[in-house]
Amino acid sequence: MTQDARPRGPMPPGVVAAPQQQGYAKPLPAIDDENKPFWEYAKKHELRMQKCPQCATIFYPPSSLCPNCHSWEKAEWVKLSGKGTVYSFIVARRATNPAFAKEVPYVVAIIETQEGGRLISNIVNCKPEDVKIGMPVEVVFDDVTEDITLPKFKPA
Amino acid sequence: MRNKTAVVGVGYTAEQGTVPGRSALSFAMEATRNAIEDAGLKKSDIDGLLIQPVIGMQSYTVAAYLGFDNLRLLANEDVMGASGSALAHHAALAVTSGMANYVLCLYGTNGKSGRSGPAGPGSGGPGGPPRNTNSAYGLFGASAEYALAASRGMHVLGTGSDTWADIAVSQRKWANLNPRATFYQKKMSKEEYYAEPWIAEPLRRADCCLVSDGGRAYIVTTAERAKDLKHPPVYIAGMGQNHHTSDIAQNVHTTGPTGAQKSGEAALKMAGITLKEIDAVEIYDCFTYTVEITLQSYGFFKPGGGREFFKNGRTGPGGDGLPVNTSGGLLSEVYYMGFTPFTEGVMQLRGQCGERQLNDPHYILCSSNGGILQTHATTILTNDDSAMHIRE
Repeated sequence: MTQDARPRGPMPPGVVAAPQQQGYAKPLPAIDDENKPFWEYAKKHELRMQKCPQCATIFYPPSSLCPNCHSWEKAEWVKLSGKGTVYSFIVARRATNPAFAKEVPYVVAIIETQEGGRLISNIVNCKPEDVKIGMPVEVVFDDVTEDITLPKFKPA
Repeated sequence: MRNKTAVVGVGYTAEQGTVPGRSALSFAMEATRNAIEDAGLKKSDIDGLLIQPVIGMQSYTVAAYLGFDNLRLLANEDVMGASGSALAHHAALAVTSGMANYVLCLYGTNGKSGRSGPAGPGSGGPGGPPRNTNSAYGLFGASAEYALAASRGMHVLGTGSDTWADIAVSQRKWANLNPRATFYQKKMSKEEYYAEPWIAEPLRRADCCLVSDGGRAYIVTTAERAKDLKHPPVYIAGMGQNHHTSDIAQNVHTTGPTGAQKSGEAALKMAGITLKEIDAVEIYDCFTYTVEITLQSYGFFKPGGGREFFKNGRTGPGGDGLPVNTSGGLLSEVYYMGFTPFTEGVMQLRGQCGERQLNDPHYILCSSNGGILQTHATTILTNDDSAMHIRE
């Protein structure tokens, strides 16, 4: 509720917000040593997640440790097909953050990638009332600033 | 551990809800003072202090301001919303082991009028997800993340606004019987529920808990020590916890069973009872959907059965079903995390709930749930001395 609009707390240690760039007022992802490759690949318009060399689990968010088998071996960033389905979604009808005022109503979804990893994203090129759970979607890349590209999803 | 420990004091703050101009610490201190007085104890009796921290508040600071200078147990304990019940578990273990005799469990906040609210995922603070990139996509706070869980719930369980309207309206009716409740004088019909604005569709404002100023405290001691105090003891009959995944996108428990299932089974087993013996439940109701999925996970109904279970005021005052959240809960009384349901369970078993008092309850199940259906703690409370013996 109103809690959402309160000033945000401090960033965890070691995390820096990407610099805000002129003309783009929305929050940018907080980049750290572990998730940096995800955003570097996104900038190249590639959706990649880590794959555990021991148990083959595709995992997200990025981590130094496989959450499934606790393998400490360096996980490879494998390229995903970019296809997936909507696991769940909401329709934001009011802008919690003023930077989203022009976007409402917009859809935030949990995307289940074909390869198994899940991530939060937006559904674009689709009216909110047409979004359904289980709907096939595919990735599109939104170059929001010079440095940051957000993977988003459209109906497949 | 069955009935070896008891809750012996409950501390409210005189004002709760919207109380501007006060620090979280001042509410914590007032609740502490009132809990000690309610128990019939002295300040010097308290030798354990567990707090659920809010932004800017630490156990050692609170202890100093309270003038406790001889504590044998002191900690911040934060498992988000599950703390309200989880603190009682650690307090019970501490007094049973002899590490402390009287442990005060405490929460204070000025989250409505000030800055010291919960430090959980909704705050975006240090307690939040390890790498929060969600805000880049316009996903802000607990309401929106719970809406993702509720949306999946609609798809899998076939419930939705009509079920959640029943939950919200029944709890509002309980609040209308509770003079302390924020919505004591504000009734809500089903039509009014549907007219509420969206917070994040599919959740309306009336599906979401309050944000409040104030505090709440309770004291745990051994059953033996409890016998000589001011009020009849409310025993801790059973305890259980279950915690899992920490990220809404990865959470596979959003349509149940949540941590309520395993923590509930553990608590019932310890208490030596089944769900049939439960007279009422005080459930962590950060959102209406949380009430549905928690009771479903405990096994009160089959997946999707919430539609019938909550229908037409069955869980409200005078209903023919199980009484749920008799203070009005986090939705309609006040938002003190798991302390709201836990202390209401104690007061009902002491028979001190005025107009909303249940008819002679013996077992009340209290639950606390934290994060986005991530952490869960269940406590079964009883006033039944005979339950000192095993019931099968």
